[in-house]
Amino acid sequence: MSRRLSRRIGLDRRFGLLLAALAATCAALLAPRIERPRSARDLLLVVDITGSMNVRDYTVDGRPTSRLEVAKRALRDLLAALPCSSRVGLAVFTERRSFLLFEPAEVCGNFAPLDAELAALDWRMAWEGDSYIARGAQSGWELAQAVRADLVFLTDGHEAPPAPAAGLPPFERSGPPVHGLLVGVGGPEPAPIPKFDEDGRETGFYAEADVPQENRSGPPPADAESRPGYNPRNAPWGAEAASGTEHLSALREEHLRALAAQLGLGYARLESPDNLAGAVLAATEPRPVRALVETYPLPAALALLALVLAHLMPLGRRAARRSHPSSPPVTSQGNARP
Amino acid sequence: MVLTTLLPAGLGAETLGVDYPLVLLGLFLSLLPLVASPLARQGVPALALAPPDRLSRLVAGSIRLAGMLAIAALVLALAGLHRRAQLVEREGQGAHVVLLLDRSSSMDNTFADRAPSGDVESKSLAAKRLLSEFVTRRPNDRIGVVAFSTSPMPVLPLTDHHGAVLAAIAAIDRPGLSFTDVGRGLALALASFGSDSDEASRAVVLVSDGAALIDRKVQEALRDEVARNPVHLYWLFLRSRGARGIFEAPPPGENTPQANPERHLHLFLQSLGVPYRAFEAGSPEAVGQAIAEIDRQETRPLRYIERVPRRDYAPALLGVAAMALALLLAAKAAERPLARRPQPLDSNEEPMRPRRLAA
Repeated sequence: MSRRLSRRIGLDRRFGLLLAALAATCAALLAPRIERPRSARDLLLVVDITGSMNVRDYTVDGRPTSRLEVAKRALRDLLAALPCSSRVGLAVFTERRSFLLFEPAEVCGNFAPLDAELAALDWRMAWEGDSYIARGAQSGWELAQAVRADLVFLTDGHEAPPAPAAGLPPFERSGPPVHGLLVGVGGPEPAPIPKFDEDGRETGFYAEADVPQENRSGPPPADAESRPGYNPRNAPWGAEAASGTEHLSALREEHLRALAAQLGLGYARLESPDNLAGAVLAATEPRPVRALVETYPLPAALALLALVLAHLMPLGRRAARRSHPSSPPVTSQGNARP
Repeated sequence: MVLTTLLPAGLGAETLGVDYPLVLLGLFLSLLPLVASPLARQGVPALALAPPDRLSRLVAGSIRLAGMLAIAALVLALAGLHRRAQLVEREGQGAHVVLLLDRSSSMDNTFADRAPSGDVESKSLAAKRLLSEFVTRRPNDRIGVVAFSTSPMPVLPLTDHHGAVLAAIAAIDRPGLSFTDVGRGLALALASFGSDSDEASRAVVLVSDGAALIDRKVQEALRDEVARNPVHLYWLFLRSRGARGIFEAPPPGENTPQANPERHLHLFLQSLGVPYRAFEAGSPEAVGQAIAEIDRQETRPLRYIERVPRRDYAPALLGVAAMALALLLAAKAAERPLARRPQPLDSNEEPMRPRRLAA
């Protein structure tokens, strides 16, 4: 009897499916947003804007491109790749200091100005020609610690004047640790450094005599005694003018690796503008943030499934019966035809 | 058909967005009600028994429509249909302001020119606090930031994202550099208005605790630039104890730009022929008053851009789906077999072209 009644008022499986679809849709309407952890990053980007960064030893889109230009592109890609709630601050390095332009700011809400500022980085912002990279990276480390962010320091490792023979200046890491990445920008082949006049016009390249070729402060190197004209008091570095290739610039990877080890940072070479984001995300510490996630898709998808099934059911059952003639008999007379 | 008019450019393709475009393929499912129905198909022995009438057609059509609507609404909700965040131009009060901030290391001392200690704040810290308040009070302004010391540095272009502006202001109490090259800083500040051809009031707020000689060439460049693009100039001079004031003329013999660069910068700015005000502040309170005065001055009608946040259509779509489903369910519940006969009717068996009947 119940079967007949149920059939009479249409309480079949399809009714059940429609009811389920409605219930699931109502559940989707009431579904709460739940908090899910997401890993944002807090980064302080420090960009070397000294003269050697103007060396054009990258090729982008078939055109020679300067290291600074490639670094800027890579940073803009990185900015776009960071998850929302990440914060990014920017500093520039010349001389021996990392100079903070702005403190870390949230990337999604402030994307346009941050991106515009990265695009506006220019070697003309440099306040001095020297390039004590080790000291600059050390001050960048301290700065990153002060703004509670991880450090991403982009440089070609070309110290000017040349680093003293004694090696890296001492540095003691204290306080909360700073993670991050020292990024080597530039090619392995020594390339000429463009030279600019007072008004910022390019006038050629640096020649050997234009730049100091050896750092003659501090104790002389171990091989000094074998140099021609060596005299411990009058000519501790030998009697001849230093010669060398300091007027050319190549990426100094050993120097940067040593510096990265001193600062407890990772090291990566910037091969092309688009391989920075992955390396940075891997080398920096994720900061869990709570992101609100919608939960309605699950019940809504169930509702859709039930609704589609409710439509397909008749076809499905007919097809099933056709393939299994012996399956439960639905005796039909009168209005049924083969 | 509902779908085809709703989706493409009809509503403005640039204002609507979906999170998962591939899910939209599911819209094909909404054609399903055209070929299938959740209602029982009932055969009638002869078509003549159920002659087509308008009401039945209407009801049958609306049931189909309800099914299509429910499927389409669910698919769109799953695809994450939303109205994109938009920029709407509004009229308000405010200005386009470039903050020209001194980042020389003397800013890190107190007004008494000592290293800050205890509850005495440094000039840069006071400026940072008061400028942050200034920015927060002026939500409609477009604000740019230029730092200057030994060289001028563009920090932020004119922007209405005040989070970034506050971050740039927060950086000014970090250790600064050695010199104070006001001239080139001013040139960069003027240049950062760029091609901004808006009618809004444009102002440069120079915050510094000192000045230096401005090169003659730079002076001429500044005069040119100001003549072409007039701006309002404000100079907030953070006067340390012992420093010369900018308003009183020094004794004769000492009145040279070299001995008195601040006074001569003041005279130079006065001579530019644009609205200019200088404030001499010897304490954080005076700085606060000066900033309040700038705040009061720079309120002119301004067209500004307001962000209308993204709006998700999922709740509305789910509501539509729920109503369409309720209609289907009602139709289903009201379904009755045609014939009342003792033999069980198989509602699924349907042989001849059936006419679906609702209610």
